[in-house]
This record gives sequence, structure tokens and C-alpha cells, in this order.
Amino acid sequence: MACPTSARAALRASIRPLRTVATSPSTSTTSSSLYRRPYHSYDHPPPPGPFGATETAILAAAYKHVPEHGFTQTALTHGARDAGLPDISPSVLTNGPFTLIKYHLITQRQALAERSRQLFERDNAPAGVGGKVAALTWERLLANKDVIHRWQEALAVMAQPSYVPESIKELAALSDEIWFLAGDTAVDPSWYTKRATLSMVYTTTELSMTNDHSPDYVETGKFLTRRLDEVKSVGGALGNIGQWVGFTANAGINILRSKGVRI
Amino acid sequence: MLATRAIARPARRLCAAPQCVSLAQRSLSTTPAIKAQHVSSDAASGTAAPKKRKPLTQEQRDFLSSALRVNQSGELAAVLIYTAQGPPILRKHPHLRPLMAHMHDQEAEHFKTFNSLIHKHRVRPSALYPLWSVMATGLGWSTAVMGREAAMACTEAVETEIGGHYNAQIRTLLEMVGQWEAEGYEVGPEITDLLSTLRRIRDEELEHLDHALENDAKDAEPHWLLTGVIRAGCRGAIWVSERV
Repeated sequence: MACPTSARAALRASIRPLRTVATSPSTSTTSSSLYRRPYHSYDHPPPPGPFGATETAILAAAYKHVPEHGFTQTALTHGARDAGLPDISPSVLTNGPFTLIKYHLITQRQALAERSRQLFERDNAPAGVGGKVAALTWERLLANKDVIHRWQEALAVMAQPSYVPESIKELAALSDEIWFLAGDTAVDPSWYTKRATLSMVYTTTELSMTNDHSPDYVETGKFLTRRLDEVKSVGGALGNIGQWVGFTANAGINILRSKGVRI
Repeated sequence: MLATRAIARPARRLCAAPQCVSLAQRSLSTTPAIKAQHVSSDAASGTAAPKKRKPLTQEQRDFLSSALRVNQSGELAAVLIYTAQGPPILRKHPHLRPLMAHMHDQEAEHFKTFNSLIHKHRVRPSALYPLWSVMATGLGWSTAVMGREAAMACTEAVETEIGGHYNAQIRTLLEMVGQWEAEGYEVGPEITDLLSTLRRIRDEELEHLDHALENDAKDAEPHWLLTGVIRAGCRGAIWVSERV
């Protein structure tokens, strides 16, 4: 009799701080800032991250169980136990398994900055923005290595209607991160097309990676190279057409002006 | 006549501060204020323990990103307006070449400044970028074909709106800085640099306004309609590109 009472007391004690985490402004701002791309400051401390302290503790511990249990409630329960919290505590993560998926996406995206530093410091670092984008995309894909056999389940969860907006937002954040880290400075309409095409290439390559059983994912590597080459050739063709149209129009106007037309 | 005066008044009010009584002084007007600010913050951080900087709130980050986005679109439009005005105007009035080149070069420099700020702070450029390009080129070309006065009236209208728009941004930034200082936080170089950049660009835009007025912008026919339409269009474009 004494045992359940003490367990309940412990649970109540642990629930209280969890509550405050769940209702803290950090969680509410992340959901409201879904479609914004806010100003990135270098001077000011960064805004609070998407997860509270308790959430991070549970998720970090649960993440280690993903290869075995997948992105599931079971992994979260194991994680809560490892973090020394009661089994009920994962219920602070209102989206359950999807939060674990989001944790994977966000931590792997944030890890790219450090990886890019190591990658581009080497002597054989890829030259040019295109090479850097390919290298970073490949790095990000390899970061799925440990969970790739569970990734199809995760994709199914991400495709649920209520999670689609957040999943797309994470994908957009990833392609933005890759282009930024690669040192692309274009801020004209190509900003949008670059991010859209990279998102497309990334998702298709990731999908093919889930069925890739070749050593070191060589097949996926070839797939990625082919997709990037396609994008490059299509982009190059469109660029050439645009240049030709622009040149012809300019020349036409100048000929008319030289004939004395008042334009 | 009454209508023209009513439109001209807000333009004047922008430089109603006592520092900018004459044209030559205006470009210098805000520099002492900024220097004083730099010195005071340096002195404060030198004597006392290093102060902390406050994290930007979501509203402040949203304001800064939409401000950079709308400024980039505005400067893109300005560059294209002057580019499109060039050939038709210079054919009839070759003596305006140095002035047009000067204004175009300043706008090109502003555009470059905001491009690099947009990239640095990872702000999304306006999704309607192609639309702004087409509309600005059309506006510049059509006013230039209407003649020198119409082109200058276009400059007058655009720069009036832009000057007021930059002033509103500077005011909001100063409010932010004032609040931080009142709460005892340090103001980083990022925001002070942005403030001085905005002030410099605002002063240069108002200089263009003066050039337009010197070049008979008021003689455009019908002046009230031309400036009224262009200013309404500017306000609409600013409203949209702050959001999209």
C-alpha cells in the first residue's frame, strides 16, 4: 500500500515542473512562429530553443532507444526512465512520437554548422557553392544512418495532416541552413527556387535511402549526384534562356532608340 | 494650388528638426548624435562591469526582418526607377546626366547594403521581387517619357514616402534602444550600426527629394494626380512587402 502512494507523490512532484515547461512561453512562440523566418542576430543571446529542459532530458534519452524501438511512445517511455522520470512524464510532449522526430530533425540540422566547419577546413574541401551544397546534403543524409531503418515509420507520422506544416517548416529550415552554410549570398528570387529544389532533392534522396542496402550507401550517393546534376542542367538551361531573352529585348530597345523612336 | 501645398507639407516636416535648416547641413545632422551614443556606451562599458544584452523578443525580430525585407524591395525599386528613367530623360536633357548618375549610384549602394544585411541576418527576401522589378521599371520609364517634370515629380513622391518610412523605422529602433538603456542593458553594435545606416540612407533619400524639387517637380501636369497616385502606390507596396 505504501508503495503506490509514494509513487503517486513522486509523480505529482515531478509533474509540477513539467507543467510549467509545457506552458512556458518558449513552446507557445514556436508554434505561433511557424511560417516566419525571423531576423538572426549575432549580438543578442539567441531566443529560447524549441524544447524546455525536461523535454530535452526525456528526448535526448529517448533518442538513444530509437534504433531499437523506433520513433514511438515506447522509446519515449524508455527515455523517461533513463532520465530518472516517471513513466507518465512523456505525456508533457503533447505530440508524442512526432516530438521525438522533430528532436531528431532539429538536432541534426543544428549539428550541420559544426560539421561544415570541419568539412570546409580540410585541404580537399569542395570549392564553390554547388560542391559545398552537395557535401552538406550528403552529411545531413549520413546523419540519418542510425535511424534509417526506422525512418519510413517516421515519414508516415510526418505525413499526418496535423504534422505536415511543421514537417515542411523543418525541411525549409534545413535547406535554408545548407544554402547559408555553403556561403550562398543570393537574395533575389533564386533564393526561393534554390531552397525549393534542394528540398525536393533532399526528400527524394532520403526516401531512396530508406530502401538502400548497399555498403556505405553508395547507391544513395549516386542518386544524390544524379538529382543535383539534373537540377544544375535545368537551372543552367533556364538561366541561358533568360539571358538570351534579356539580351534580345535590350538590343531591340536600343535599335529602336537609335532609329529615333522616343522610348 | 492648395492641393499641391498639402502634398508638399509632409515632405517638409521630415526635416523639421532644428539641425537640418539648410541643405548642406542635413547630411551632417544626425552624425553627432550617433557619435555621442557610441561614446557614451563605450564609456559605460569601460568603467562598469560589462553589461548584458537582452535577447530580442519575437516582436522585435519580426520587426527587424520585415524592416530589412521592405527596405531591400524599396531600394531595388529605386535602382530600377532611375535606371529606366535614364535613357528617355537624358536624350532630351543631357545636362541632367551627372545628377541622374549620382542618384542612381547612391541607390545602387543602398541596395547593396540591404542585400548584404538580408543575407547576414538570414531574412527572406520579398516573394514579390519580380513584381516590384516590373512595376518599378514601368513607373520609371513611363514618367520619364512624360517628361522631365513628371520624372522629377515621381522622384519627389517616392522619396517623400521613403523618407517617412525610414523615419518610422528609426523611431521604432530608437524606442527599442531607449528601453534597453532604461533597463540597464547594453546596446550592441549591430543595432547602432543599423541605426546609423538607416539615418545615412534616409538623409540621402531626402537629398534626392531636394534635387527633384530644384528640378521643377512642382511644374508637372497634373502634379497632384501624379504624386498622389505614386505615393498611394508606394504606401501599398510598402505595406505588402513588409508582409510577403
